[in-house]
Amino acid sequence: MAEPILSLRDVTLSLSGNAGRVEILHGISLDVTAGETLGLVGPSGSGKSSLLMVMGGLERASSGSVAAAGHDLSAMGEDSLARFRRDTMGVVFQSFHLIPTMTALENVATPLELAGRADAFERAAEELDAVGLGERMDHYPAQLSGGEQQRVALARAAAPRPRILLADEPTGNLDGTTGQAIMELLFGLRDRHGATLVLVTHAPELAERCDRIVRLVDGRLDRDAAGAAA
Amino acid sequence: MNLPVAARIARRELRGGLSGFWVFLACLALGVAAIAAVGTVRAGIEAGLAREGAVLLGGDAEMTFTYRFASEDERAWMEDASEALSEVVDFRSMAVVGEERGLTQIKGIDGAYPIYGELTLEPEMPLEQALAGHGAVMERVLADRLGLAPGDGFRLGTQDFTLSAILTREPDDAGDGFGLGPRTLLRTQALEGSSLLAPGTLYETRYRLQLPEGTDVEAAKAEAQALFRDQGMRWRDARNGAPGVARFVERLGAFLVLVGLAGLAVGGVGVSAAVRAYLDGKREVIAILKTLGAESGTIFAAYLMQIGALALLGIALGLVLGGLLPLAFAPVIEARLPIPAAFAIYPAPLAEAALYGALTALLFTLWPLARTEEIRAATLFRDLVSSRFHLPRPRYLILTVALLAALVGFSAWFSGVPHLTYYAAAGIAASLLLLVLAALAIRSLCSKLARARWVRGKTPLRLALGAVGGPGGEATSVVLSLGLGLTVLASVGQIDSNLRSAIARDLPEVAPSYFVVDIQPDQLSGFLERVEGDPQVSRVDSAPMLRGVLTRINGVPAREAVGEHWVISGDRGVTYAALPDSRTTVTAGAWWPEDYAGPPQISFAAEEAEEMGLALGDRLTINILGRDIEAEITSFREVDFSTAGIGFILTMNPAAVAGAPHSHIATIYADPQAEAAILRDLAKTYPNITAIRVRDAIDRVSEVLAGIAAAITYGAAATLLTGLVVLIGAAAAGERVRIYEAAVLKTVGAARGQILAYFAIRSALLGAAAGSVAILCGGLAGWAVTTFVMETDFAFEPVSALAIVLGGVLATLLAGLGFAWRPLAARPARVLRARE
Repeated sequence: MAEPILSLRDVTLSLSGNAGRVEILHGISLDVTAGETLGLVGPSGSGKSSLLMVMGGLERASSGSVAAAGHDLSAMGEDSLARFRRDTMGVVFQSFHLIPTMTALENVATPLELAGRADAFERAAEELDAVGLGERMDHYPAQLSGGEQQRVALARAAAPRPRILLADEPTGNLDGTTGQAIMELLFGLRDRHGATLVLVTHAPELAERCDRIVRLVDGRLDRDAAGAAA
Repeated sequence: MNLPVAARIARRELRGGLSGFWVFLACLALGVAAIAAVGTVRAGIEAGLAREGAVLLGGDAEMTFTYRFASEDERAWMEDASEALSEVVDFRSMAVVGEERGLTQIKGIDGAYPIYGELTLEPEMPLEQALAGHGAVMERVLADRLGLAPGDGFRLGTQDFTLSAILTREPDDAGDGFGLGPRTLLRTQALEGSSLLAPGTLYETRYRLQLPEGTDVEAAKAEAQALFRDQGMRWRDARNGAPGVARFVERLGAFLVLVGLAGLAVGGVGVSAAVRAYLDGKREVIAILKTLGAESGTIFAAYLMQIGALALLGIALGLVLGGLLPLAFAPVIEARLPIPAAFAIYPAPLAEAALYGALTALLFTLWPLARTEEIRAATLFRDLVSSRFHLPRPRYLILTVALLAALVGFSAWFSGVPHLTYYAAAGIAASLLLLVLAALAIRSLCSKLARARWVRGKTPLRLALGAVGGPGGEATSVVLSLGLGLTVLASVGQIDSNLRSAIARDLPEVAPSYFVVDIQPDQLSGFLERVEGDPQVSRVDSAPMLRGVLTRINGVPAREAVGEHWVISGDRGVTYAALPDSRTTVTAGAWWPEDYAGPPQISFAAEEAEEMGLALGDRLTINILGRDIEAEITSFREVDFSTAGIGFILTMNPAAVAGAPHSHIATIYADPQAEAAILRDLAKTYPNITAIRVRDAIDRVSEVLAGIAAAITYGAAATLLTGLVVLIGAAAAGERVRIYEAAVLKTVGAARGQILAYFAIRSALLGAAAGSVAILCGGLAGWAVTTFVMETDFAFEPVSALAIVLGGVLATLLAGLGFAWRPLAARPARVLRARE
């Protein structure tokens, strides 16, 4: 078996809220190999998105270890994690999370700039072209439709050519047709750049496009489903 | 519109508490508090002046004559009208100890002084004992300057005196007005033989009357004026014991209230932003209410009631703060005031402050409230409210204009200086407009710069430029609030520095070294010989000097003819000349022939004549030494008072007045290093004359100006404080957005240092923008006041300007970075998930 690009060992996540401490993830151990597409499925509140956040270093696991591209994320500080994502990961969210005060072009160029790329804007423009937004580069997020905003988010995630793409229900806020188009783009980008894709989704037809599906129930891997290939 | 329903909605909405409204409350409370505090202090001083009027005046009434004592008739009337009468002689002279000389304001008193109040001396002793024989008391500042201690001797004119004690408190000091020299007090009879009260010498006599209980002061005044006004008598009574101080306090108070209004305008910006943010958060509620059938009017009324209730709370907080602060600091304020004050809660200034607060709150919340009408039920499904700026409906525009007119109208009425109010209101409005335009320009510029090639790769800078220039930024409210606060400060700085430089730096360059008064006619030739022969003296001007009161114009009492004008407010210098001198420019009419001996003629100062509406051929009645002289205006001439040289409003032909006893005045223009020797020589040869060192007088005026500038700076600081509250409010309101931005930036790979740099640059950009616009507005205000009010040249003062820009940058930086920690510390996943 190839070397895993993402490796989680006995990961737990518990968060404190107003109602007290809530256990989100319980002893998750999971490997994702380079170039693989993995679908994370499960009912609402099962911990799919939290698991994705832990994989991206956006959430720190309460215990256990998380390794990505050979780095132990559990041992890294906030800024090291940020630099690691900048160089290795792209994240796409259900709510797009574009910076409202930046145009589409600026949003896409930002991670490239942060990486010190001299051609940040040229690359950003190419990426926007690739997602069909070449004509709307100077528009602010508020001036774009939901589908267009998600295409900008996709372009932003893909622009630095990340080795890992994390997508958290990227079509959750979109209608069927637009969602379909976004998924085509996502998989197209993944195919073009050969990145590893971890996709959180509720939609069975999207999950079925992945190489492997992992099902979460109450913060635990559903052993019955784990390892099942599409 | 359904008002009962609106009221119920408002009540239910307010149950949510006041969180999110602290900026609204603080802005309104601070603005109202500043105005209430200024008004309360002013009312306290005015009450103190009124209560102590008789003490400040030195009697229930005072009759003043210029360089003469009261005639027998006048004295008989005063004795008849009063239970006690005190005669005071007031003039300037030089106190001499060996080679040391000091200008002093001498007060010669009789045994009845003081009728009211008490004098305190150090060491303590009865006044009678201190002034026995040739005893005198003087203020410590003069004694120290001359190196005198109680028991030492000094000379006035040709008479030796002994300093018995230091004068530490003089009850009628504030009523005597502005004096150039420290006070020396002695018995008038001790001046005999001093050669200081010779005919023609410049002095005033003041007769203080203790009126019998129940005297009709107004009737007594009317009788005295009917009998003696035409003989040059001036009347004052305890109803306004220190008119100069009262007028000064009233003017300064009015000016500070206007500064306070600028503060309220700054607060208004914060109030407006707070209401806008609150209503933005209520869009869904409003859409639901509309879905349920609420009319626009009902919704408008519901939110107006909520904002109204909050405004009342803010105003109440401001009134409590503004009313109580002066009371809390009363001992400190009283200790620093040279005049009595009676601090208490005065309803009138509080009501005035409340009115300003209510009008401002309504003015600044009207437009955001008007936008509630534009929210449609469909907002629930999609965002239909355009973020583009557009004017509200006409009825709100009309209401805005009406509120603005009411605010300016009330301020003009309450301040008592309508012109100043209109200028100040126009200044505030123009500044706000300029700041709005500047904010738009800055946003547009930043937006363009954010896309410039050279900022690519400089991520924090590009992000900052994008944030300032992008949609929904806080640029406008920060530039407006901080900018207006800094504008007030910059204006004060520019006006103050120009005023001071005009008086303290430029004036001495053109002003004479000495102003010499009381030169007797027989001393003039010797005096001129001494100074004109001195190689270090570049110029000497002299003129005969009488004092006269312009009582009638074309037979009509002067006040009825021209209203209030400073030329007729008291006695003025009158001179005579056979020929105009080389520096005189006659602008209209013709000068009398050199040997003219016909009916009296007058050459009048052209500018003042125009202000008073005088024309050639008008007949003026001038009372000199109790005698009326009627003369015709036959020419107008230019008189320049700005150089502190000799300048007379009234010049007459010699035959008209030369016979009256008079002295001469002179100005000496000399090298600064020669000044001391000239003074020593003149004082030795002519002990009766008084030489006023112009630099000393300028220093004294500068001191007073510094005090005024300090008071106004405190007022401006209150405005700035409100600006800072708005700034902090804007930073706090933006915190959620910053947290979100930081989370997204961290997700795409930004380190905290880069995010912090972005926040810092953005804050600094906004601060620099506000500071720069403030300097532009402050410079314009400074230029306008300097050019049109002070009529001097304007010079931009860079140090305070730079300090203001740096202050603006620092303030926004601190506020911005103060609210940067949470965004930097927040975990991206939780922030982003919360927005899903």
